[in-house]
Amino acid sequence: MAQRTLLVYSGLFLLGLVLLAIGALTHPYRVGNTPGSEAGESLVALGLTFVIVGIGYFLAWANPAQ
Amino acid sequence: MEEGDSGVKYLIGRSAGKSAVIAAFIATHVATMAGLWFGGVRLPQFNFNMLNGWLVLGLTADPVQTFVIGGIIHYTSGIIWGVVFALIVHPAFGRFIKPLAALTPTNNYIKGVLWGLVLWVISSALWMPLLIDPLFGGGVVGPFLTKFGLNGVQALFANLLWHSIYGVNLGLLFNPTPASTRSSWRGASGVGVR
Repeated sequence: MAQRTLLVYSGLFLLGLVLLAIGALTHPYRVGNTPGSEAGESLVALGLTFVIVGIGYFLAWANPAQ
Repeated sequence: MEEGDSGVKYLIGRSAGKSAVIAAFIATHVATMAGLWFGGVRLPQFNFNMLNGWLVLGLTADPVQTFVIGGIIHYTSGIIWGVVFALIVHPAFGRFIKPLAALTPTNNYIKGVLWGLVLWVISSALWMPLLIDPLFGGGVVGPFLTKFGLNGVQALFANLLWHSIYGVNLGLLFNPTPASTRSSWRGASGVGVR
């Protein structure tokens, strides 16, 4: 069970990092308030979402009351 | 952790209500600040304080007044949504989604993340198009936030990020566990919040 949980939060975190990297490195970004690539910024937002959910999952799993 | 009379202990406070209010306030504040910083990661800024202020004061009011009044409304909304989660939705998730029935930190966290997703749908499908769009004369917000001013669908995903930050914090901080659980954050680390 612990092994599966580890895989889940690692997977979420890594998926987020990959999406974030693709969005940030392969698409033009915004300058000031002028939006950059729609797909790129969407990937950055989605990637950060997965990263944060993955980190939160790890923190919940690491709670000693678990 | 503090133990109440109900056989359940909370990370913050002795009752579900008190725990929910404090957890929701922290979650709202963290998400609100993150939304203001979205520009730092090249995302559209999400300033819910101003959006709420414009809703009640109009677009021509003093910006500081709009920010403060809007902030009060926004934080109140965030706390109320958190209390609704803690007292109604959290137990309901446990009843209808059987794997989430046990009061464990992981299950509590998953429930918080799910609640963040629900609020994202409400915000994107209803609040933004039905309330914010008419404020700017229409045509500014697309259906389900597929457009927001100069921004396209990235606004929808930035809104998802915002509500995920809220849900993650709410799920981690509103954390009821059975009182019989021996180990706790306080026991393990020597800290606790009263």
